[in-house]
Amino acid sequence: MPNGATFADAYPTQARHIRAAFWASFLSLGVGAFFGLIQALHRTDILRVIESQTYYTVLTAHGVFLVISFTIFFLVGVFQWAVTDSLERPPVDMRFTWGWYGLMSLGASLTAFAILAGFTDSIDVRANVLFTFYAPLQAHPLFYVGLVVFVVGTWLAGADWFRSWLAWKGDNPGERIPLPTFMVLTTMIMWYISSIGVAVAILAFILPWSLELTGSLNPTLTRTLFWYFGHPVVYFWLLPAYLLWYILLPKLAGGRLFSDPLARVVFILFVLLSTPVGIHHQYLDPGISEGFKFIAMTNTMFLLLPSLLTAFTIIASMEHGARQRGGEGYFNWLTALPWRDPAFTGMALAGMVFAFGGFTGIVNAGMNINYLVHNTLWVPGHIHTQVGTAAALTFMAGAYWLVPQLTGNRLVGRGLALVQVVLWFVGIVFMTNSMYRGGLVGIPRRTAEPQYEGFEYEVAAGSVGELNAQLAIGGTILFVSAMLFLALMVLTAFNGGTEPIDDGSIPPALSGPEDSPAVLDNLKLWVAIAAVLVVIAYSFPLASIVSRGGLFGPDIGPIPVAIDAASTVARTALEAVSAVVR
Amino acid sequence: MRIHQYERVWLLASMVLIVGFIATITYGAVGLGITMVDDRGATIAPDEINEDERFGDPRVEQVGDDEYEVYAVAMTFAFQPDPIEIPADSEVTFYVTSRDVIHSFYVVGTNTNTMVIPGEISVVTVEFDEPGEYGLICTEYCGAAHHEMEGQLAVLEDEEFDLTELEVEAPDEVEPDGEIEITATVTNGQLEAIEETVTVELGDETLEESVTVEGDESESVTLTVDAADLGEGDHDWTASAGDLTESGTVSVVEGSEDDTEGGDDA
Amino acid sequence: MRLRTSPAKLLVLVALCLVVLVELRTALAFVGVSLSIGATVAVGVAAIAALLLWAVRPAGSGE
Ligand code: HEM
Ligand SMILES: [Cu+2]
Ligand SMILES: [Cu+2]
Repeated sequence: MPNGATFADAYPTQARHIRAAFWASFLSLGVGAFFGLIQALHRTDILRVIESQTYYTVLTAHGVFLVISFTIFFLVGVFQWAVTDSLERPPVDMRFTWGWYGLMSLGASLTAFAILAGFTDSIDVRANVLFTFYAPLQAHPLFYVGLVVFVVGTWLAGADWFRSWLAWKGDNPGERIPLPTFMVLTTMIMWYISSIGVAVAILAFILPWSLELTGSLNPTLTRTLFWYFGHPVVYFWLLPAYLLWYILLPKLAGGRLFSDPLARVVFILFVLLSTPVGIHHQYLDPGISEGFKFIAMTNTMFLLLPSLLTAFTIIASMEHGARQRGGEGYFNWLTALPWRDPAFTGMALAGMVFAFGGFTGIVNAGMNINYLVHNTLWVPGHIHTQVGTAAALTFMAGAYWLVPQLTGNRLVGRGLALVQVVLWFVGIVFMTNSMYRGGLVGIPRRTAEPQYEGFEYEVAAGSVGELNAQLAIGGTILFVSAMLFLALMVLTAFNGGTEPIDDGSIPPALSGPEDSPAVLDNLKLWVAIAAVLVVIAYSFPLASIVSRGGLFGPDIGPIPVAIDAASTVARTALEAVSAVVR
Repeated sequence: MRIHQYERVWLLASMVLIVGFIATITYGAVGLGITMVDDRGATIAPDEINEDERFGDPRVEQVGDDEYEVYAVAMTFAFQPDPIEIPADSEVTFYVTSRDVIHSFYVVGTNTNTMVIPGEISVVTVEFDEPGEYGLICTEYCGAAHHEMEGQLAVLEDEEFDLTELEVEAPDEVEPDGEIEITATVTNGQLEAIEETVTVELGDETLEESVTVEGDESESVTLTVDAADLGEGDHDWTASAGDLTESGTVSVVEGSEDDTEGGDDA
Repeated sequence: MRLRTSPAKLLVLVALCLVVLVELRTALAFVGVSLSIGATVAVGVAAIAALLLWAVRPAGSGE
């Protein structure tokens, strides 16, 4: 890229495409955050604007819009930027690039329609199955079709980036893969390996069953296939944040990345280890032996390694930056960091929250401690510190730097942007602290009214009322912060006739790729090892699940979520009576 | 590959930390014997639940000294049986399955927590030392009224806990020249024999008898009264054994059919 | 008015104060020390006030 030119100047078409991905992402964030606010106020019984049964439509939308649409649209934008910028070349064929964007948008729209139709009785479409869609809860087929189309779109996006890389390789034989592109390619390898699971679950079992082509399915099997995908997907959300931490944060801090080789090792570890761990989400599932759970637990613990290494590199790079800026002393260098810059501060705060959330993740991963917190509010506490902040806040902070590069406009309201990231930080700590504490006393997640008749929660310090207030305050702060972010983005988009403050160049790492063995770039090797690990970790559990419950399961009728609560309660009561009488 | 000195130290520390975590958890599983939900339960098709010997009649059963089994069923949006009563300080094994979708079985604030998946039977063994009323809820979204899915787990002091049932057979209507027979049956669901004083009262007549009911057996006591002694009209009866009581009314009327109906058990 | 530190750093410090307060209260509860809401708010107000005072006090005075 010519020096001093923004990305928008150098690649106007590509910039337009990335902006389109960002707008899809930001729209999802806005709607998702609004639903989050409704949830925070509803489940705490502070303000209930919807019927409790509608809560699950809201929650499905919150989950899908935020962790499928917001995160993935943003990351394809970042990846497109990273590949184009670091290979210094546009995609081979821009029509293909727009094509996968179109597929993703189509898929997201179909799924969004299926979910949002749940708000009105006039359309006979429902998908209140939450983002995990555990069968035999059944959504309208459009919900699943949309998800598949969306995922196929991301597969083609990956193919596009591999194609760019191969074209680049042809022109630059023998050169090391530029680090940003290396990160994108390895992340996509992980995504290919893992999303096969959800594709099989939907295409082979759930979709045919929802279309009444097959009569039944094996709920443990579809659930296991979901979690085969469900853990790596969290790294799909997180690795773009890592990319920004490795590539952008050192520069924002005023320095350079500490070590390029270590960054490559970290991403390879994710390729190898993110998939054979999914059973850690099923520690409480019957039908899966303790041995398989134990293997998932050990793999999960080793997955801590790349994150711990990342913590080191990030802090080392920030310290280097601070010292370049004149920082001194053991801790005093911290004051030399550019705290005024919302992009820097947002990422630094996101990193802090991530480190804290990592420890709560260790609790989840500990297979026997998990019993205390499984499916309690503790889990959304963990979700919001990790994807809801480590990823989401990093994305927002990254947008403060990227969007000016992509529009050629100066960021509007730099000071307000700083307030925005700080508000998110405070809001998330208020909300998740309450969620963690609530989870420890047994308050369940995914529940419209966690107020029960038969018992009281025993809160060690404080009271449930206080926990509720804290959750609602945190949620409200988060909502305000999200709206502020969107407003600044819209204003920046219209801020024509200005120029970004930064020139958009990324300095090379202190220790470059030449310090690492070339085998790190042998992607085929890593794919092969990852595949072997997946086969080892999953073939036995899957075989055992199929032999217990059958490929298409025992004969369970579908349970459409369309049945309204009253008739279901009546049916239940009838069944209960008949069971007692007989 | 060049690795900075500090990076080496950090790497080493990270590995020590990770191995430490794994060791701690392994110790919990092997050393302390914290068991997990696993594949030891059999499978059962949801549409066979009603015919099943265990789940067809969801209940608590004693299987050994201080050993109990609970056969429970989760369904939209309730648990059976409800409430579940178990004794404190005993080993209780829950067998739980689902009639329809995925649910969970979570005793609030404890680590008695399992997913309940249709087709599978979750097995959880616990010992509650603290008597008290615990909340039992479903923590997996299961449909529009998921938040109403709630049951009760009552952990009773050993002395207060029994599996004794009282069943009474008595006619509703009797001819003035007929006989009224009231039979009280005490069933002992536990393994040890129990002593119960059974009392049956009708009008001025009272029958009091001490019975010994062997484990897993029942004993009956019958009170017989001539309808003529009571005269036409409604007459109340009560039967009791320990703290269980049943009551009802028998009418002495001209031209009735002598149909018998059992009172409920307690 | 001249600040001892930049407004940006002050903002981040105030936020950190709030966050540490919330988490510290939980940590203390685990070791058996429970702070009431009132006490927590009072500590928070005091800490933030101290921070602000330190920031606006002209550099060099009284040192
Ligand atoms: C405005 C900010 C937000 C608020 C107020 C909010 C609030 C909430 C609440 C209260 C829940 C718990 C619902 C329940 O279990 O009953 C929840 C769940 C969740 N949130 Fe958020 N949230 C926000 C932002 C986000 C963001 C940015 C993400 C991810 C990028 C996110 C991802 C999730 C996920 C994955 C769940 C779990 C959904 C499920 O259980 O199916 N949230 N949120
Ligand atoms: Cu996971
Ligand atoms: Cu439920």
